[in-house]
Amino acid sequence: MARPKKVFYRRRKVCKFCADKIDYVDFKDIKLLQGFIPERSKILPRRISGTCARHQRLLQQAIKRARHLALIPFTTD
Amino acid sequence: MRTYELMFVVDPRVSDEDVVGLTQDYRQMITVGGTEITKEENWGRRKLAFPIDKLNEGKYVLFYIQSPDGKTPLAAVEHRMRQNDKILRFLTVRTDLDLKRAGTRVTAVTAAGTGAGDGQAPTGGPTASAAPDTDGADRSDRAAGSDRAAGSDRSDRSDRVETAPASNAADTADVADAADTPEVGARGEE
Repeated sequence: MARPKKVFYRRRKVCKFCADKIDYVDFKDIKLLQGFIPERSKILPRRISGTCARHQRLLQQAIKRARHLALIPFTTD
Repeated sequence: MRTYELMFVVDPRVSDEDVVGLTQDYRQMITVGGTEITKEENWGRRKLAFPIDKLNEGKYVLFYIQSPDGKTPLAAVEHRMRQNDKILRFLTVRTDLDLKRAGTRVTAVTAAGTGAGDGQAPTGGPTASAAPDTDGADRSDRAAGSDRAAGSDRSDRSDRVETAPASNAADTADVADAADTPEVGARGEE
């Protein structure tokens, strides 16, 4: 109230994989994948995470592989 | 030259010796005609993310396979695994193409190693050691990240003491740290 105009910065989203120079998303790297599966265990959309298209594709593939091996849940019940 | 990764989950009620015997069998099936298993990992007993056949745990085994001509009888191995109800899940992934596509950054790292089998380097150091090791590498990665953040934070503060344009320093730090340290960035911007 005191400050009517609060300057609001929107953080520019950066693809984590581009930033960390990860070119191959390993389905065994559960620690990494876990960061992209929020509470309901759905794959975090690009819109939220800021992952670039190429890396989102790789990530998606890796998550699905990890799910098959029960390393990562499909859903949380 | 093709490389594969073959991972399978064994029923936890199977004893460790039997798991070893099982892996021996598969290894014998795989290693024919110049095909070799460059690395083998035994992750041991691990909690499953969801129950399979009402079991909550599984024993994970992982092969890194290198095949000179791609004539490895992996289909036969998979068939055998499908028949065996002690194998809860299995997954074969061909990795050479993906690793090649991953580009020079990866191959530069692998060139020093034994071959494309070690190509997981960018995803947390030599993944091929064992599960806990991977975790360790991961953690060190993250630690490095936070160190960087802490460093930038410190420089930021010193800037302020010298009444230098602190906002600039914060901005550059922000760009450098990218996604992994939101708190620090936010503090810098204020």
